[in-house]
Amino acid sequence: MNPITPIINGMKITFKHMFLKPVTLQYPTERPKVSQRFRGLHGLKVSHSKAKCVACYLCPTVCPAKCITVEAAEDANHDKYASVYEIDMLRCIFCGYCVEACPVDALKMTGEFELANYHRQDFIYSKERLLEK
Amino acid sequence: MVNVTIDDKQVTAPKTATIYEAAKLNGIKIPILCHDKKLKPFGACRMCLVEVEQMKGRQIPACTTPVTEGMIIRTSTPDIIKARKMVLELLLLNHPLDCPVCDKSGDCDLQNLTYEYKVNTNRFKDEKFHHSIDYNNPLIERDMNRCVLCGKCARICDEIVSFGALTFIDRGIETKIGCEFDDALNCEFCGSCISVCPVGSLLARPFKHKARFWALTKHTSVCGYCGTGCNLTLGVKDNKVLTTIYDENQGFHKGQLCVRGRFGYQFINSSQRLTSPLVRKNGKLMETSWDEALELVAGRLKNGTSVAALATPRLTNEELALFKTLLLENVGTKNFDHSAGFAHSALTEGFVRSFGESASSASILDIQKSDMLLVIKTDSYETHPVVGFEVNMAVKNKGVKLAIISDKRGKLSKLPDATTLVHRPGCEVAILNAIAKTIIDEKLFVDTASTVPGYAEIVKALSEFSAESVAAQSGLAAADIKKLASEYATAEKALIVFPVGQGYAGHNADLASATANLAILTGKYGKEGCGVLCLSEKSNSQGAVDMGFYAQDGGLNGLQILDACVSGTVKTLFIAGEDPLTSYPDRTKVKAALDAVEFLVVSELFLTETAAMADVVLPACSFAEKEGTFTSTDRRVQYIKPAIRKNAQTKTDYEIFSDLITCLGGQAAVTPAEKFSEIAEHAPGYTGLSHIILRKDGAFATAATKPAFVVPKATPSPATENGKFALVTGSVLYHNGTLSQYGEGPMHVCPEGYLELSRTDASAYKIADNDLITVASAAGSMQLKAKVSSRMPAGVVFAPYHFSSAPINTIWTGSPVTMVTVAK
Ligand code: SF4
Ligand code: SF4
Ligand code: SF4
Ligand code: SF4
Ligand code: SF4
Ligand code: FES
Repeated sequence: MNPITPIINGMKITFKHMFLKPVTLQYPTERPKVSQRFRGLHGLKVSHSKAKCVACYLCPTVCPAKCITVEAAEDANHDKYASVYEIDMLRCIFCGYCVEACPVDALKMTGEFELANYHRQDFIYSKERLLEK
Repeated sequence: MVNVTIDDKQVTAPKTATIYEAAKLNGIKIPILCHDKKLKPFGACRMCLVEVEQMKGRQIPACTTPVTEGMIIRTSTPDIIKARKMVLELLLLNHPLDCPVCDKSGDCDLQNLTYEYKVNTNRFKDEKFHHSIDYNNPLIERDMNRCVLCGKCARICDEIVSFGALTFIDRGIETKIGCEFDDALNCEFCGSCISVCPVGSLLARPFKHKARFWALTKHTSVCGYCGTGCNLTLGVKDNKVLTTIYDENQGFHKGQLCVRGRFGYQFINSSQRLTSPLVRKNGKLMETSWDEALELVAGRLKNGTSVAALATPRLTNEELALFKTLLLENVGTKNFDHSAGFAHSALTEGFVRSFGESASSASILDIQKSDMLLVIKTDSYETHPVVGFEVNMAVKNKGVKLAIISDKRGKLSKLPDATTLVHRPGCEVAILNAIAKTIIDEKLFVDTASTVPGYAEIVKALSEFSAESVAAQSGLAAADIKKLASEYATAEKALIVFPVGQGYAGHNADLASATANLAILTGKYGKEGCGVLCLSEKSNSQGAVDMGFYAQDGGLNGLQILDACVSGTVKTLFIAGEDPLTSYPDRTKVKAALDAVEFLVVSELFLTETAAMADVVLPACSFAEKEGTFTSTDRRVQYIKPAIRKNAQTKTDYEIFSDLITCLGGQAAVTPAEKFSEIAEHAPGYTGLSHIILRKDGAFATAATKPAFVVPKATPSPATENGKFALVTGSVLYHNGTLSQYGEGPMHVCPEGYLELSRTDASAYKIADNDLITVASAAGSMQLKAKVSSRMPAGVVFAPYHFSSAPINTIWTGSPVTMVTVAK
């Protein structure tokens, strides 16, 4: 083979790409549009201005990373609710099992992926932070 | 034995077995929902349907049908599976299916069966139930919407607990489980109904929503309250004991517990637990290091005979044995005791003289094997409720006769055909003597009795106890005493039961000898279903006796130690776990003693009143945090192991004693297991036992009897005076010693001391329930809430001793009966 041929072939590809739409996003000025099924930060769904979660403990049970902490309590109407709902995002592997396990469809995974932070403590998402706004 | 074929397998089963039992015995599983092995067959749910060839393939319930020779049974044909699925569909029809919020989830028979039979659709449609939920008591929640009407709760409450709080009410589709007049539940809160409920209808409120069943680690243990020695399973999560878990295969009692065992565990993880050693500096208790605290204590223990010690019989055998070594060998004092020195005298003096051994001559298992039970004081039920269940079952299922000699009526009196002789307080020994005399007079004794040492003396001494004279002084009828005597003597097997404890000063060595005399006269000991069973008060009361942790060879006993503190001969007092300020008689004297003693060391779980007076307080560990053995009232030695890790700043009493021995220049103690091997070499009856042997079910330490007649002293009961009441002290069902004050469950249902009096007296003095009344004796006066009840005879009042907030020892100085005045 002519030693020039591979170089020409390589250059062809390079030139072709000069006319194609670039793949790289100019993050953060440009932002990706994540798919519907994207598994990002969790969100606790709200209905009747209350978290839907009934603190059944299925998500902490199924979670393979053991990063969900739930503590149940009884409200004034003797209904069960989660007095504590916490996810340690440093341990979460975004498998989505928790969402799948939830019997009352109280949990979702949002498109939110910008989870960087300065302190480890800030990766512990409390119920307040997880509630859908 | 009969031969049957189950699912093509040739098997044999006992003649009395049901199909369900026969299958279970041979490893074939038939699903059940309404059946419980402790209860009589009921047949309410039809989950256990099977086909029997001889019955032309009809489907019949396995749990109620007895096996017969040659039966050919099929347990899982397609038809049966279909029928079971239908049963589940019908059950789920009105069921709320709120598993996510139901605490039973994970341990629910209905849930498990639904899963197993893959019932995920329902062909039928109907409305759900709308029963209101009973949240009226703090311990048991009743949600009848989830009920499958298996009747287990009503049956256990009737058949075993004999309370009868629950029953089916209403008819047809409206049928539900309810209380009298569909009212709120108000019962003895043993929680037996919760334990057998197959669904989430009955739930323990203290555990409500605390954790899921599958997240709990289960640790077997032994109840740390009374001497019955019930086995427990503790449910632990995150190093906290969150609940007790029912295990129908545990212990002689098959998982049955009383309110204290089931609901009284909260003291283990109480936030009030001591977490650091305290030392008194400038009059105040200040936190300090273990090194400083132990050094200080060790320095004071060098004073030999001026040191004395009191220990609670809630310590393990190993701890008591080590404490004894520390005191005898390293300190050099014989002044140590437990339980105020008198609560164990029935064993250490009474039985030693009468039976030659400081242990009961019968076991709890004898209760159901006997023909007649003679119970001294109805309180036996309250002090040892699970023993009480055995009595209930003996009387109701086995037709055992029950006679009670008591100063008040009680729950046991309500059992079918129970005879209760209600006598004037303090006459027990005289009545027992009169029974013995009747047996002698009417020649109802066995021939061998006359060869027993002391026979001539007893015949002579009993001459003054004719049934007539005793009847006159005790307020009974002579005929009743005689009838009881002949019933006892002529019964094939008969067992005497009496409780002892710090509230029962009259249940002493003399009472023990008086009961033993009856057993020896009629030859009712050393045989199945016979003997005398002394119910010792706390989890290791019998063990403390077996370890010899009581005053011997001239050592001072519990009450003498307090006197010696006042007189100054005892300068250092080491109290391990006792709270004498509340539980020993004569509060003024105890207070004076603790004030007077130069140096007071207390090792405790909590800062009790006694601990608050100490110079050094050492934080100790509960039964759930240590390894060792407890000996139950009938000498079953049982092994306990830590269920949770202890707080790093606390030490077990074993470690405390071991550290002190090293501080005093001795050798550090061996492990508890090795210590137990040492114990097994010396303690009578413990030979051959070891932790490894005891690990699973425990074992009985044997007792050998050497009978002798002993003349029991009958102290005359104080004369009745006009306007005065006879106060008797004792225990209530919900409490045991002073420890249960730190258990939330018991405190929810019985939070404070009270004075129980008869309706007659209440109306004469215009006293109503919960009125604050002033009770005064020669020793002092105090205010107590009134409790009016129908069980007290006129002129007699009862007060429990457990409460630091209402210490009955303000007016009670240790006599079995105290004369008091009552004013509103
Ligand atoms: S599975 Fe759903 S309802 Fe259950 S605890 Fe998790 S979020 Fe709450
Ligand atoms: S009783 Fe059982 S099936 Fe019913 S809601 Fe509770 S866990 Fe679910
Ligand atoms: S707690 Fe005990 S006494 Fe009360 S209803 Fe249940 S079984 Fe009966
Ligand atoms: S409450 Fe529970 S134990 Fe009682 S009948 Fe209903 S399901 Fe059975
Ligand atoms: S307190 Fe006594 S009767 Fe009750 S559960 Fe504990 S050991 Fe058993
Ligand atoms: S278990 Fe046999 S009918 Fe319910």
